[in-house]
Amino acid sequence: MAKDEKGRAPRRPIWTGSIAIGLVNVPVKLHAMVFDKGIHFRFLHKDDGQPLRYEKVCTKDNKVVPWESVVKGYETTKDRFVVFEKAELDAAKPESNQTIRLQRFVDYLSIDPIYLDRPYLLAPNKSDDAYSLLSTTLKKLGKAGIGRVTMRDKEYPVLIYPYKNALVLTTLRYPHEIADPSQLEELKDIKEPSSEELALAKKIVSDLSGEFDITDYRDTYQEKLTALIEKKLKGEPIVAEKPVQAEAKELMVALQETLKQLKKK
Amino acid sequence: MSQALTKVEFTNLDKVLYAKVGIKKTQVIEYYIRIAPKMLHLLAGRPLSLTRYPDGVDKQGFYEKDIPRGTPSWVETFKRYSETAQRDINYVVCNDLDTLLWLANLAALEMHMTLSTTDSFMKPNLVLVDLDPKPPLGYDDVVEVALLLKERLETPGLRPYVKTSGKKGLHIVIPIVPVYTFQQTREFVHQLGKRLAMESDIVAADFSRSRKAGKVFIDYLQNSHGRTMVCPYSLRATPSATVSMPLEWKQITKGFNPEEFNIATVPAIDSDPWKDLLQNSQKLE
Repeated sequence: MAKDEKGRAPRRPIWTGSIAIGLVNVPVKLHAMVFDKGIHFRFLHKDDGQPLRYEKVCTKDNKVVPWESVVKGYETTKDRFVVFEKAELDAAKPESNQTIRLQRFVDYLSIDPIYLDRPYLLAPNKSDDAYSLLSTTLKKLGKAGIGRVTMRDKEYPVLIYPYKNALVLTTLRYPHEIADPSQLEELKDIKEPSSEELALAKKIVSDLSGEFDITDYRDTYQEKLTALIEKKLKGEPIVAEKPVQAEAKELMVALQETLKQLKKK
Repeated sequence: MSQALTKVEFTNLDKVLYAKVGIKKTQVIEYYIRIAPKMLHLLAGRPLSLTRYPDGVDKQGFYEKDIPRGTPSWVETFKRYSETAQRDINYVVCNDLDTLLWLANLAALEMHMTLSTTDSFMKPNLVLVDLDPKPPLGYDDVVEVALLLKERLETPGLRPYVKTSGKKGLHIVIPIVPVYTFQQTREFVHQLGKRLAMESDIVAADFSRSRKAGKVFIDYLQNSHGRTMVCPYSLRATPSATVSMPLEWKQITKGFNPEEFNIATVPAIDSDPWKDLLQNSQKLE
């Protein structure tokens, strides 16, 4: 069994609703469970160290296009688009729902991990008894429930299963989002190995077999970067200056005058 | 602009807050910047209640006593248990320019202050006589009652100050030494109103008569713990962006229009009639 490494505390719920099984309802709150801890960089101007921003530029005349003149287009074939207004797209969005109906229960281990997308932590929402009953039952049976949820304008199939005395909801990928290996040219004529080769390979693998422990793995690139940043911080980091908006400039003139008057008092 | 003149980061400066007169948030902030030298000392040490209009005065505003979420740590606050809310309320106390501008940026157009300061919260240092006319009475009638009141107060040697409410009424304010309870100041104003009601047909001194048409109600009830008065120089949420304007008594004459005092006109006015208000604490004997 893997050693427990202390994870981080979940943040505020991003969705509330309930899990429905038959006539039973379990109100739940959904928390984010995985976090991107990567180190991010911003682009700066090399000469003065100020942050750069992106602008939308028309590919025809190279002029900057303001936001109100931007629409969305779907590229049907190269350089041919069908254009959509925001209202048209909004009308097609699915409505968020408040219930995840579990239609079927499956053996958790029978699910190919390739379908597992993003896990979320489910917390009971004043429903401790029903929550505990559901998670304990699934744990004892080694089962996971399958349902469907609409969150943030997207509809997902989801899997609900027990994890460390809690329930986890993992969104699933659709088959069309996953590459089919049989389509890959190199995989079309793969030969079976000989029985001697196979026996030797199996021996090597079983000699190296052990328990899975995620703490054996560290993000060494991240560690190196963190050390580098610490080092640079001891030197002189470049401080970004906030540009003052045009309207705010007039306020600054008035402010200077008032500050002068207040000082006199 | 590298040296920051204020800790406040102004946002949505283009938002129209007074649609009828086309006043945007940037002009509201500029107003409070310009009026701050006259206004700040009058607000010092007084817990504020705010009426905020983030979508302008044409849309529903909201009343706020407790400090909003995201209040910066440098904003001074005053914690007090509220009987009505049944919990502790953290009031904003505006002791500096940054706090005033932070409030302006929140579209806290109307600022209301307590009549006492935090260092003697149960003993007020201002007495408020709030004159509120009921239709068909108008400003001329309020002026008449105000001048009567001034005479009554000056006879025993008191010095009252006056400001427009920014709406229909006038506020007469007497700065006092903070030795009286709210009950005493309330009773003082109530008695004053009763005496005046005997002399003038248009004065109502009691709440029961206050809603009668054709009366100017001398509202003594404002002199209570937890009650507030609109701050001198605060904007009001009226269509023409009027100001609760401190005035000289000689300006209180029939025929004057309180709407003259608004966001556009007030910053250009030089006089500062309430400058010495807090240096003139008086006794109510």
